This record gives sequence, structure tokens and C-alpha cells, in this order.
Amino acid sequence: MFRKHVIRHLSAYCHGELSINERLLVETHLRECRRCRAEYDEIRFGARLASALSLSDAPESTWNDVLKLRHAARRQRWRREAVFAGSAVAVVIAAILTWNSFSKGPSWEVTGLRGMPRLRAGEVLQTDSSSTAQVKVANIGQITVDPNTRIRLLVTRPDQHRLALDRGKLEATTWAPPRLFIVETPSAAAVDLGCKYTLEVEEDGGSLLHVTLGLVALERAGRETIVPAGAFCRTRPGAGPGTPFFEDSSDQFQSALRALDSGTGVSERARQLETILREARVRDALSLWHLLPRVDPEARGLIYDRLARFLPPPADVTRDGIIALDPAMLDGWRKVVSQLWQ
Amino acid sequence: MAKPIIDDGVIEACQRGDSDAFRLLFETYKDRVYSIALCFFDGNEAIAKDITQDVFVKLLTAMSQFQNRSEFSTWLYRLVTNTCLDRKRAFGRLISFGNSPELEITDQRKSVEEKYIQRELETSVRKVIAGMKPKLRITVLLKYFEDLSYDEIAAVLGCSKGTVASRLNRAHQILARKLSNLNEALASGQRDV
Repeated sequence: MFRKHVIRHLSAYCHGELSINERLLVETHLRECRRCRAEYDEIRFGARLASALSLSDAPESTWNDVLKLRHAARRQRWRREAVFAGSAVAVVIAAILTWNSFSKGPSWEVTGLRGMPRLRAGEVLQTDSSSTAQVKVANIGQITVDPNTRIRLLVTRPDQHRLALDRGKLEATTWAPPRLFIVETPSAAAVDLGCKYTLEVEEDGGSLLHVTLGLVALERAGRETIVPAGAFCRTRPGAGPGTPFFEDSSDQFQSALRALDSGTGVSERARQLETILREARVRDALSLWHLLPRVDPEARGLIYDRLARFLPPPADVTRDGIIALDPAMLDGWRKVVSQLWQ
Repeated sequence: MAKPIIDDGVIEACQRGDSDAFRLLFETYKDRVYSIALCFFDGNEAIAKDITQDVFVKLLTAMSQFQNRSEFSTWLYRLVTNTCLDRKRAFGRLISFGNSPELEITDQRKSVEEKYIQRELETSVRKVIAGMKPKLRITVLLKYFEDLSYDEIAAVLGCSKGTVASRLNRAHQILARKLSNLNEALASGQRDV
């Protein structure tokens, strides 16, 4: 395993994170390699310095402040509900009837949109060209709904909050446990993994996801694409998630990727792939990796070669295995190659 | 630093709305959450307190929906991480860092001189960490404040174990190079780090 230098394993070695075999290999290598020994001394010194960190006491008032904030939020909600109830009893009765018909859980508070104080399961929220709305997603996050947008609340219950974005754009921020909040679009579902993102549905039913914090999974018919912060991903009706790409990748790279995703003739695909491979930076391994299962075996071999130049695969991963999409090899290499875009 | 122990019973009690259980949860994690935020924002106590409150209010409101599909601590630290990164992004460059307060080290066994040296050392380390890129910074804080394993840090940050290892490698190198003047003192055993 560690025939070459062991520098990248040294912190893990200091922290006891290596297996017995790995540790022995590192120790053997360190005895023979002056360069790695020097690196080890430096990293061990850095680790000793970091060990000097000690906990600081949170201010005594923090607990009371947490309770105050919580109570304030509850009072604010209660007041809004009381005012609403006092001024429009008939509407409340109608709302109760609607609630009885549609309720599958708690409602979502809406601000900024006249006549719609809350959104319930089965209801539609629609903004016009001059309005926006803020929607509190139960107690796990919030979304900002842009103008000319239509959303439908499908399900809201403790184990799942699911809405449909039919058209337009929203920005979601959540603090929920992963996979609790899902936005369906006509071409894929965006599954929250603890994050902040914008999602826009275009005229043709395709969508564009931009993750600004954390991770989002795009899912469609068993295919899942994990999109990290700083990356975009398009989806197309009938085709599901496209290939994710970083916002700072070159225009030629993005353009070729879009052409490849949208399906072209064989010669055109070869030309686009050539552009992608030429323009790819190390971080664009994100896109190259997601292309692997989407191209023909010959193209897969070329992508393998490019990725392997960025970061050689583990010893048990072969070119033929990747071309054949061997699940174990793909899994083994993904763990390594994903370092390039994280 | 020993890892906090909160069993499933406490989590379930919190989910039922038991305020004593939530207080126990708060007392167990408050200093850890606060310490990460304090170090992340270079000693800014106001921001650290604000983030600590924010994290626990979010926990309080979303706790009932936690379903043990992931470790509670993973969720908590992901919440802390995202809140810190989000706040940093929101503030942009408006925050004036560098106003680190004097840090309180409360180990009564150490002599006054040792405590002084330890405090100076820790202040230097915190300053270097505060100057690291946010992804390196949070990785170091999760390792050294929370003593999370590489697998646990990877789960919190949504990255691979290899990425955690490489970030820590980089962070250790930065610390070692920027504080190389302390190397001799540590090597001669004058400071018990």
C-alpha cells in the first residue's frame, strides 16, 4: 500500500485512525524515508499545538436567552393567530373545514402574501410578477418564494415535508435532519441533506439547482446525484438529473456538458467530451465522475484516464473495472476521488 | 476532552417536550457549541453566544422530528457547522476579527506560570486557526473540541474520511509553520500540550 510517500496519512497516523496494517506500513516507511519523517515531525508538532485548545464556558445567560427566544417565537405566532381569528371568524371556520378535509399535519406560516397567512397540505401558493412570499417550513426551515412562482404543499408531517415546485424559483434554508424536506419538480426531486439552495423550474419543466451550503441530492427513478455547495445541476423532463458542475468552471466546459446532457449525435458527443476533458480542472472531477455511467464504454475509458491523472485510483481499482461499471470498484474509487471536489 | 454521553432516553424525552431533558442536553453540549463558534469567529463572544442560542432554538423546534436515522451528535454538529458557515457568509467581510478576549483556563492544578504559558500558547493557536479557510477551521474544531473520529467528522461535513485526513494534515502544517517559534519549547518538554 504505502510504497510511495505517506504524507497524506500522517495526521490519521497521529490520531490512531489507521488500521494495524496501515500503521505498520507507515512506520516502516518512516524509518526509510527522511522526507516523510520531516513531514511527520511537522504534523505531529501541529497536532500538539492544536491539542492546546480547551473549552470555553458559554455565558450563564445563554439558557435563559434560548428560552426567551423560544417563548417570543411562540407568542408572536399566537398573536398572529389571535388577530387573524378575531378579524375573520368566518374565514377561520372555513379554514377549519379545509383543515379537516386536507390536514396531514401542521401548517406552514406564510408572510408577504395578502390573504394567505398559512399554507396547508393540498393548498397552492402562487405569486404574481410583483410579489414574493416567505414560508416557514413547519419548524425545520424556511423558503423564499420568488415572483411568478407556484408551489403546492403535498405532505407535512413529522417524518416528511414535501412540496411541489410547479414553476418559478424558491430559495430553501433548512436545519432539519437529512432527508426530511423534499421539493418535487416536474423532472426530479431535491432531497435536503442539511443545506441552503435555490431551485428554479423553467418553462419546459426542466430545473436548475444551485447549492450554496451543505449538500442536496437530486433523485429520479432510482438515479441519485449529490450536489455539493458551490455547484449547479440541471434536470430535464424524462431524463432526470443532469451532470453537476461547479459555478466557476469554464464557459466552454459548462456548454459542452449541457450539450452532452441534452443528447446529441455520436460525433458531436465525442467533440463535446473532448472539450470537457480539455477544460476540466481538478475540482471538475465532480462532473467527470458523474459522467462515467452516462457515456459509452469508450468515452468512459477516456474519463477514467483524465480522473486517474488527477488522482490515481486505489490499487484494487482497474480501468477495465471502471469501464464495466463494477459497483465495488466504483465505490472504492469514489471514496478517494470525491476528495477532489470537497 | 471526553465525549459527552447522551442516551436515547434523553433524546426521546426531549422529543416528548420534557424541559428537564432538554436542559440536560443543553448543559451537556452548550460549552462545546459555544467553543466552536467562539474559535470559528476569532474570539467574538457576541457572535458565539448568538450562534449558540440559534443552534439550541433550532434544536428545540426541530427535535420532535429527529428520527435516529442519523446520530444525534452528527445532526447537532452539522447544525453548528452550517450555522457558523452561514453566518460567516452573511457577514462577509464586515466582521472585525482580532478582538480575542483573554481566555479563561480553569485547571487548578497548574501553577500560575504554567497557566500563563498555556494561555499564551492557546491564544496563539486560536489566532492561527481563525486565519485558516473555513473548511479547514471547522474540521480542526470538530476534531479538537469534540474529539470526533474521522468517520464522524466526515458524516458531519458530508465529505469523505480521506478529505478529513487531508484537511487535518493541511491544518497541522499551517499551525506548525506559523508557530514554529514554539517548537523548541515544546520539544524540550517545557509545556505539557
